[in-house]
Amino acid sequence: MMKLSQIKKDGTFRVTRVNADNECVACLMSLGLLPGQEIRLTHEAPLGDPIAVTFEGCHMSLRLSDAAEVEVEAI
Amino acid sequence: MQQTSNSFRVALIGNPNTGKSSLFNALTGLRQRVGNYSGVTVEKKTGQWELNSEHSVELIDLPGTYSLSAKSIDERIAVDVLSGHMPGLPAPDLVIVVVDVENLQRNLFLASQAAELEVPMVIALNCWDVAERKGLKIDCKLLEQRLGVPVVPTVANRRKGADELNTVVLKALRERPQMIRPSWPEPVGQSLKLLRRELVEIRGEALKDGELLRLLFDKNSAVGDRLNTAGAEVGRIVQSARDHLHRGGYNPDAAESLLRFRFLNPLLLDIIQRQASLKTRSRSESIDQILLHRFWGLGVFVGMMYVVFQSVYTWAGPFMQLLEGFTGWLQGLAANALASTPTLQSLVVDGIIGGVGSFVVFLPQILILFLFIALLEESGYMARAAFLMDKLFQWCGLNGKSFVPLLSSYACAIPGIMATRTISDPKARMITILIAPLMSCSARLPVYLLLIGAFVEPLYGPAVAGAVLFAMHFVGAALAAPLAWLLNRTLNKGRAPRPFIMELPPYRVPHVKSLLWRMYESGKDFVVRAGTVIFAMTVVIWALLYFPRPLKIPLQVARVQGAEIIAIADNEAAETDIVQALEQQIDAAYLEQSYMGRFGKFVQPVFAPAGYDWKITVGVLASFPAREVIISTLGITYALGGEVDEASTDLRESFHKAKWESGPRMGEPVFNLAVALSIMVFFALCMQCGATVAVIAKELNWGWALTSFCGLTSIAWLAAVVVYQITIRLI
Repeated sequence: MMKLSQIKKDGTFRVTRVNADNECVACLMSLGLLPGQEIRLTHEAPLGDPIAVTFEGCHMSLRLSDAAEVEVEAI
Repeated sequence: MQQTSNSFRVALIGNPNTGKSSLFNALTGLRQRVGNYSGVTVEKKTGQWELNSEHSVELIDLPGTYSLSAKSIDERIAVDVLSGHMPGLPAPDLVIVVVDVENLQRNLFLASQAAELEVPMVIALNCWDVAERKGLKIDCKLLEQRLGVPVVPTVANRRKGADELNTVVLKALRERPQMIRPSWPEPVGQSLKLLRRELVEIRGEALKDGELLRLLFDKNSAVGDRLNTAGAEVGRIVQSARDHLHRGGYNPDAAESLLRFRFLNPLLLDIIQRQASLKTRSRSESIDQILLHRFWGLGVFVGMMYVVFQSVYTWAGPFMQLLEGFTGWLQGLAANALASTPTLQSLVVDGIIGGVGSFVVFLPQILILFLFIALLEESGYMARAAFLMDKLFQWCGLNGKSFVPLLSSYACAIPGIMATRTISDPKARMITILIAPLMSCSARLPVYLLLIGAFVEPLYGPAVAGAVLFAMHFVGAALAAPLAWLLNRTLNKGRAPRPFIMELPPYRVPHVKSLLWRMYESGKDFVVRAGTVIFAMTVVIWALLYFPRPLKIPLQVARVQGAEIIAIADNEAAETDIVQALEQQIDAAYLEQSYMGRFGKFVQPVFAPAGYDWKITVGVLASFPAREVIISTLGITYALGGEVDEASTDLRESFHKAKWESGPRMGEPVFNLAVALSIMVFFALCMQCGATVAVIAKELNWGWALTSFCGLTSIAWLAAVVVYQITIRLI
């Protein structure tokens, strides 16, 4: 179990828990980022923040502080 | 049967990056209008769409949004328009949901939310060509059956599918098909009932079930803002409904996404051949391997920004000179034609032609910048640029999207401020607009060059001169950073920061037609909405500099200075030179006697702590509509004529010779290094640009335009005083 803000580039992960209280996460949920969804880290910005992830055909950029509100596990 | 043109209204909604705007343009062409929704600064686009030779409907382009969770103003507008609660805009007869074929599931989430508002619906499956190229197959007929609404494949930017859409929409306006809605589980149903009873039945609010759902599911829903019931009471009622939902086993914040996707997923079974799996890389992802690379990505970014900056700063130059040349030529023509009536001549030449010229001259920069912005946005790179730069802006409440507008403001704040339209967070956009005028624009350069050339370079050599020029370009930015932080602290006080999530859309080749369209729109917008104000300001300032023009002045000048001028020029100068010298003295005297000149003398004490005499003060005041005017104004006050430029040696000599005419420092030289630095700092920080004020008024409102004008003027004055007082003690 780890946070989305901690994952590395290689490997695919599965969402286990989302904190819907966070507005950003709630927004991502309406795009399909729900528990069970597969997710992958594609890029980190040069200064380390934000990160880009891809899931369900979406390629989204989000900040680390928001990514910390999503828990994932490696698959 | 003949329909009158406004009988039907059709709304267009869709996620960002689905080609919704292209579809809107393809359907309406030039028959569109841009305005604002009442009370907010969200752009409202409507247009006439001819379905066939007999029928035409009004098409409303709603803001692009991922969901109808009415948290942001854009989303609330979409909800209000669809539910018929936007003042002056009855509920549409039909909504077309533009859906990107490649992201069917999440795009249909929005359609499913819209369906709750009970508007008849047609779905346009856009980017059909891309999907086909990628081997994606979609069973439209099956999808139609399952959703219960017509589904039309389109390729908006090539107008494909438009004819079919016409036919389908015409039919749908008669048959009013509604998209299938989920049957909510018990706790949702009960919470909804509770809301309906409390708000609709007891308090008489006009709310559809779809809107009640928004109140239930969205924390701090913007729908609550427009109710008649007091905010606190609405909050209490909504909270009790949400508590009820919670007790039923659903987290109110998460319930909608979970339940709606659970409802949508089975509907999409066997509809699409699954998209490329997560493991294989798409073409966009391969491009991103370079463009978002920690090292190469930054390199490409710097290169691209260099091109954007150069294009606005340098490449627009020849076009601007051409326009200036044309203005000058027209002024010459008018001056000759009206030579017999000097007041009319000055009004037409300096007031009207000069006034139109003063805003038309910005058009090349605006058009070129918007060409690049359209290129960056439509190709998909803009989001990447914001991704790369975001961290730099986070601490002051801005985000990466502020970078391009601020960079452009280094060339000219006007296109820069217009470019903030790409920032979706309204507060971040507002802050960016307010700090943009602090970026050192190209119009400040002549002022720097003149003063550095006259006072820094002769004393300290070219190396220091270069350093001062460099520093002047950073004074504004250095102040902008803490100012942005402060604005964020005050404007966003008590509010959670707006979420910054941003799609990195697939790269696409931009279409020439839509690039040209964006340039046309921005240019038209500027000329129509800002140009008129700039024109009016220029004419007013002209009048203040021209009148009252007492008749006795030429005689006075001739009497006092005539003999002196003739004596100096006696031997070598030709008659024309003497006449010219006299005329320049007369112009200087007219300026001194004008309303602006008198006002300058009156407020000179305010600028005395910054080291300015009345001539500099008049120059500063006269250059409020356009800062570069100071050079020609100083040229007139020093009786050199208005044709001087920053390289003029005469003007530099006049500076060195200028002496205080009265007051405690009478006889001392006016100019020294401290005064020069103080003037430069004042010009670096002050918003001496009528066009910028007008554009801020248009993008925000007049309140903010005047606030920022007064604010920056005070800051500039304060900084000028500090710089003068410190430097004068050091030298």
